[in-house]
Amino acid sequence: MKFSFTQDQRLFAEGLRDLLSKQCTPTHVREAWENQAGHLPDLWSRLAEMGVLSMLVPESQGGMGGTLIDAVLLFQELGRAAVPGPVLEHMAVAAPALAHTQWAHALNDGTAIATLWVDANPYVAHAQVANIILTHDSVITDFSIDDVHGIDGGRQLFTVHAQSTTKASSEVFGLPASDVMALASAAYLIGVSEAMIEVAAEYARQREQFGKPIGSFQAVKHLMSDALLKVEFAKAPTYRAAWSASTGSSTVLRDISMAKALASEAAYRASRSTMQVHGGIGYTWEADLQLWMKKSWALMRAYGDATYHRRRVGASVLHG
Amino acid sequence: MDLNETAQESAFRSEARTWLEANVPTSALPSFDTAEGFALHRAWEKKLYDGGWSAVSWPVEYGGRDADYIMWLIFEEEYYRSGAPGRVNQNGIFLLGPTIMEVGTQAQKTKFLPSMASSEIVWAQAWSEPNAGSDMASIRSKATRDGDEWVLNGQKIWASRAVWADWCFGIFRTDPTAERHRGLTFILCPLDLPGITVRPIAQLDGDTGFAEIFFDDVRVPVANTLGEENKGWAVAMATAGFERGVSLRSPARFTEAVKRLIHLWKTYGDPSDTALSDAVTDAWMQAEGYRLHTYQTVTGMLEGRTIGAEASLNKIFWSEMDVRIHEIALQILGPEAERMEGPSQRWVDGFLFSLSGPIYAGTNEIQRNIIADRVLQLPKGI
Ligand SMILES: Cc1cc2nc3c(=O)[nH]c(=O)nc-3n(C[C@H](O)[C@H](O)[C@H](O)COP(=O)(O)OP(=O)(O)OC[C@H]3O[C@@H](n4cnc5c(N)ncnc54)[C@H](O)[C@@H]3O)c2cc1C
Repeated sequence: MKFSFTQDQRLFAEGLRDLLSKQCTPTHVREAWENQAGHLPDLWSRLAEMGVLSMLVPESQGGMGGTLIDAVLLFQELGRAAVPGPVLEHMAVAAPALAHTQWAHALNDGTAIATLWVDANPYVAHAQVANIILTHDSVITDFSIDDVHGIDGGRQLFTVHAQSTTKASSEVFGLPASDVMALASAAYLIGVSEAMIEVAAEYARQREQFGKPIGSFQAVKHLMSDALLKVEFAKAPTYRAAWSASTGSSTVLRDISMAKALASEAAYRASRSTMQVHGGIGYTWEADLQLWMKKSWALMRAYGDATYHRRRVGASVLHG
Repeated sequence: MDLNETAQESAFRSEARTWLEANVPTSALPSFDTAEGFALHRAWEKKLYDGGWSAVSWPVEYGGRDADYIMWLIFEEEYYRSGAPGRVNQNGIFLLGPTIMEVGTQAQKTKFLPSMASSEIVWAQAWSEPNAGSDMASIRSKATRDGDEWVLNGQKIWASRAVWADWCFGIFRTDPTAERHRGLTFILCPLDLPGITVRPIAQLDGDTGFAEIFFDDVRVPVANTLGEENKGWAVAMATAGFERGVSLRSPARFTEAVKRLIHLWKTYGDPSDTALSDAVTDAWMQAEGYRLHTYQTVTGMLEGRTIGAEASLNKIFWSEMDVRIHEIALQILGPEAERMEGPSQRWVDGFLFSLSGPIYAGTNEIQRNIIADRVLQLPKGI
């Protein structure tokens, strides 16, 4: 057994982190929230050039030919930067699912932007920037939308009225789109949690009360440590789920569900603890922390919440 | 022990219910963290006052009904039951008002209480400073004596509703040679004086619920001192005690929220999900437990006991319960919980606000320290 990523996989993730640290700073994310775009067009082009958007598309179709193991660290990096817009939906599902269609080229090079409409949800995230909406059995390119005000400015929500649809499948690697998204968002949430913990740890080192950094108080140390514990123990299950999905393991659905349940709970805990550590400033619009907190409150419920996924794990381990 | 209401209490309850049913606005007012909503809430407070319901526990001469704590809790139950608007002048009526009655001069009572009861003057609290939150004793805003005036300089932050409030109260350093808790004075100050700048701060939901208040050579009469000069800390602690104790978050707020939660569960909850039904049941038990605990506490107060550090137990309990109630609601709402409008709006707004409960009125970490030090008598940390 070897439970680690290859040098190439790690270097690619580092390259992405590097790009995001320049082109997706909290200032950029905030801009995308506040100008209502919910999307960063320049960054999008760079993600296409780097091959992030086409990571899961076969080489024969102009993609990078990667597996979900190759992609999982990228999802995590995207979460660390709270990248706004439909990057997960596009990269994890739409681009590979439509790799053999007329849209393949535009999806790879980012000139088309796709999002998903999953059955269990009446709302479509990112529909305002998408020109392709993929459902479980069709592609919608002609549609109108109504804003229903999602909590996360980088994941705006809409009701969609489709004018016409074309038959298509949203399966990726033999898995339903919602499961691929559960895996992708689990990894993304891990990145979101890591970022919140880093921001709060830095704050706890700097902020002084009673003549000492607040990070020196045990209550604060424990809040932070408990948050980290949950995140660290959600990682290996998430990476395992990526392996199971890449290798066609028979336990893949159980494994994805385990990952999404744990990552959702870890992200929620991290949001609570890190806001608490910030005190009053954590409850403001000005503090960058909200960019990740709201992301975690949105994604912890999207593509199945912890309860839904725990049930699926239960169905497998208790009744399987 | 007799847990039944007396005839007098029941009569009071039905009088309150009748009035509220006839007068509560039929549709919800906009948030009081907006200019329009603030004005509408102020108008509602005036209506309450005219009906004699704005400050039931106050003496009749200042606009109240002399209601004892039990009756006050009964009124609160009826108030929340009726779906009446939030109390825009809660800082005045529930916190400053009782403090003025305890330590204020007769002239201050006459001057400040009636306009507070009618919300002609709405009050903001100005304790926190950028570098003095949990460590409030380290405040630096100062008041310097000049004849019979105080000259205020410094900066306060996180003052709720101060964007539209009329006056604020807070503590200022009056003896620059004294350290920490000593040498502080409790001062009342209009927010429209020359030298005051109020900068709105947007909260997590985007509304400007807070403000920063800058004082630049602001002059107020020395008569605006509440309690003794340089003894402001003790006065502030009395106010904070009211806040953490029973007055800020009466049980009805939570028993009503749990009723709505049960309704939500009946409408959308999956009855076969026993973890969910256990969670909803537990929320009910918590709210009921808080109600019972509060009735017991106020009976003790009526019998002459005072609440000290135990108030910190209350503050932790209600703030954590409030978060829990909203977490469960959002879980039931599922995908709807990602929306800031529509049927889930009240729950999502409530969820965001509930997260600030463990922070305001003294963080829960600080409350736990207080309980450990003063109730459990453990060796002191800091
Ligand atoms: C919704 C809301 C409304 C508010 N309204 C008002 C208002 O009207 N007027 C007003 O004056 N203020 C108001 N506040 C401010 C509030 O009182 C402060 O935010 C609070 O006291 C914490 O101070 P701080 O924000 O400076 O955080 P800090 O004191 O910096 O605390 C940061 C973190 O460190 C922890 N910490 C600090 N010291 C210790 C310690 N000794 N041991 C363990 N942990 C510690 C805290 O618990 C917290 O987790 C409001 C705050 C909120 C969120």
